[in-house]
Amino acid sequence: MSGRAIAGLGAVVVAAGLLVGFRQATRGNETAEGIAASGGSSAQTPWGESNLMGVWKAEALGARSGRDTFNLTTLEGLYKPEARARMRKLSANDDPTLRCTAPAFPRAAMSGHRLQIIQSPGFAFVFTEAYPVARIIPTTGRPHTSGKYLFPTYLGDSTGRWEGNTLVVDVTSFNGEGWLAGGVDKPTRASTGVWLTSDALHVVERWRRGGVDTLEYQARVEDPQMLTARWETPTVTFKRQAVDRIEEALCLPEDDPATYLTRLGS
Amino acid sequence: MRASRLAVKTMLAGSGIAVLAFVVAIGAPGASAQVRPYTPPTSVSGGGRGAIGALLPSDVEIRAEATERLAKYKPDPVKYPVPRTKWDGKPDFSGVYWSDATITRPALPLESLYRPDVREYREAGGTVKGLIDWRNGVETTGLHCWPPSPMSGSMSIITIQLVSSPGFLVMLNEGGGQFRIIPIVGGNERPQGAPHKPSFLGSSVGHWEGETLVVEVTNFNGKPWLGGGRGSQLPQTSSDALRIVERWSRPDGQTFDYEATVEDTKMLTAPWTGPVRRRALLPYDMIQESPCALDSELYARHLEYAAAEAARKKGASVR
Repeated sequence: MSGRAIAGLGAVVVAAGLLVGFRQATRGNETAEGIAASGGSSAQTPWGESNLMGVWKAEALGARSGRDTFNLTTLEGLYKPEARARMRKLSANDDPTLRCTAPAFPRAAMSGHRLQIIQSPGFAFVFTEAYPVARIIPTTGRPHTSGKYLFPTYLGDSTGRWEGNTLVVDVTSFNGEGWLAGGVDKPTRASTGVWLTSDALHVVERWRRGGVDTLEYQARVEDPQMLTARWETPTVTFKRQAVDRIEEALCLPEDDPATYLTRLGS
Repeated sequence: MRASRLAVKTMLAGSGIAVLAFVVAIGAPGASAQVRPYTPPTSVSGGGRGAIGALLPSDVEIRAEATERLAKYKPDPVKYPVPRTKWDGKPDFSGVYWSDATITRPALPLESLYRPDVREYREAGGTVKGLIDWRNGVETTGLHCWPPSPMSGSMSIITIQLVSSPGFLVMLNEGGGQFRIIPIVGGNERPQGAPHKPSFLGSSVGHWEGETLVVEVTNFNGKPWLGGGRGSQLPQTSSDALRIVERWSRPDGQTFDYEATVEDTKMLTAPWTGPVRRRALLPYDMIQESPCALDSELYARHLEYAAAEAARKKGASVR
């Protein structure tokens, strides 16, 4: 290719870039307030990663009243007989989140609560409005935290890497006490609303921007002690919210007594 | 006054052991009878390196040693330059901080500014009357899963992680799992989006004054205690009129400094400027997940309290 052709191509690329930039600026002005406040709508962070920052909200998903919007019928069918035997001894009222423990992802992604993503070089942080819990996700593809320093937790140990514009997060070191869905999720007649996990739980998540104002999330779940095969969640589409931060949510019974007690009684 | 000054100093020193000793000396009078009692689990304690120190290798500092070392430390921005963000060149606070030291002491103890007419309110524990049995010398707001205010804990004792991000400073607490998201705006801008609900940590908005991040915090829910609430020291309650102006800066790449001015016309006779507190980096880049879990006895008490509140509100609405 001649130098002249390369220069010509370069000019086209620059022009296209300007157009895209202009379109984004215009788009930005339409909802400038919320977007500017929650981390900017530009496609990339100043250090060149895909920009997932913002406050995001999706519809509440799950299987309330038998209507399954989170592929939970499939999940229910994957439980091993010994897991089912254990689960029959429990009820929906044993859902650990009723006692204010944090739901891990992917369960947290179907709650309908808002979440906020903050990025800094080498890290992404996911905060949810349901519980006062922050996920810290290294994004450099480094190994999981060494077992020497780690104890199992409700949210597990996350490590992420970028595959193009998708943040792929590998999560292990769960404490085996969390549930994959809620006591209210009963997709079939046989459902008990109990969704146990073990400490062998392994989640691989994919986070990416769908467009200027959408965020997509999908997870693959393995738990060889509980499930006969891996389970895939549907893709959850979050929409950008025009606020600068999520609300404080501490899960203290006295903060909103009526709601809390109703939930506990469910 | 003498007692309260001692208590404030004790609080600032952040030594639970000293506070406990103080409680034993004074006694814990007037524990309210109707509150479900709380039996604390047996814990490790002791003076000097004590029982906790004995568990650690001899070259690992306990908190008192780290505090002493930090208090003597002279920040050296030539040897340890202040890191700067890639997006605006401002000081980058990112890191995990643990040890803390008081660099300048306040002119007055906060206690001396409390209005005499709020004494009864403070005795009862403020808005959440009777929920925290602070007289028993064991219960603290932290034990009840309240987020620590900068005055009551975030700037001492617990490990925190700070994150500088375009348009934000974020603070994550290791003890309790709470987090604070501080939007940073330009000079005359206001925070954007819908107004937030009043909360324990309030609504923060930061702006840069040169190399210092100045953060104004308002919209509190009236519950936080700024300190106190141990032994004979009354809880230092706040109201919905609480306003805190914080100044965050980095003297060098190893440390950050924090100073806050507190106003609360319903509780205090005048604004109070607290100590400058310095915190130093730990050689880690992330904290551990450590959500707050209420002890089962305390949880039962919270449920009873919530049920009583729900009944009271229902009664009020029927009338």
